[in-house]
Amino acid sequence: MPRNNHSSRGQQQRRRPQRHKDVLHTQGGHRANDFRCTSCRLDVSPAAPGTAHRNHCPNCLASLHVDRKTPGDRDADCRGRMEALGMSVRTDGEWMIIHQCASCGELSANRIAGDDNPLALVRLALRPLADPKHAGRALITM
Amino acid sequence: MSSHTTNNNTLNLGTFACAWCGLTVSAYAADGAPRNHCPSCLHSRHVLDHVEGGPSDCEGRMSPIAIAVLRTGDWMVIHRCVRCDELTSNPVRTDDNQLILMRMAVRPLAQPPFPLEAFGTL
Repeated sequence: MPRNNHSSRGQQQRRRPQRHKDVLHTQGGHRANDFRCTSCRLDVSPAAPGTAHRNHCPNCLASLHVDRKTPGDRDADCRGRMEALGMSVRTDGEWMIIHQCASCGELSANRIAGDDNPLALVRLALRPLADPKHAGRALITM
Repeated sequence: MSSHTTNNNTLNLGTFACAWCGLTVSAYAADGAPRNHCPSCLHSRHVLDHVEGGPSDCEGRMSPIAIAVLRTGDWMVIHRCVRCDELTSNPVRTDDNQLILMRMAVRPLAQPPFPLEAFGTL
């Protein structure tokens, strides 16, 4: 599924270079094997198109609370299941999933990967519009 | 006016100044619930630590990045601090600017990473 949204601004909009990720690679703690999602038990491979590391399951978009300050530091004691709460978008057009840990309530934001289930992504992005009460309230104030 | 200091004493007077638009905001919404973000621009200030639950020493400006929905159907505004990148979530109040809220809720759909035409039939 193509993720290149070539904007009309062209040369003016530089692609933000990917942040240098050295936390896992230098310490030798990189998890090079498959893992199973805690929510849907899918066998997930560590190779994700479009990003260097996986942080959520491509099927159900659930994550694990393992990082504290920087993504990849594996510094959190919680290890609780994080479920997708909402969708945000960065200024360069990248969709970001907002996760909330079910154990400690901490929030985190991570980019989507190229092989995420697109129906799950769109349903998550459409969640605020699911009930007509809020749309009606916005119209009434106009 | 009450809103020149940035320590917790301002909340005893019942108002604070918005970090983004400068509006004088009352600390309680129309229905009596406490609010932490400006109803007109939805920006907030990093005074509470979401992780540990106590006061924070960051005091940075928090800008809204997303709208999330709870299981009850209530909307929450997700803020990110511009100084320390911490994320917090707070409920939406009834007197918040509905147009800005709606714009934030539909913003992901305006810039989809893949074409959405196929989803109309699913």
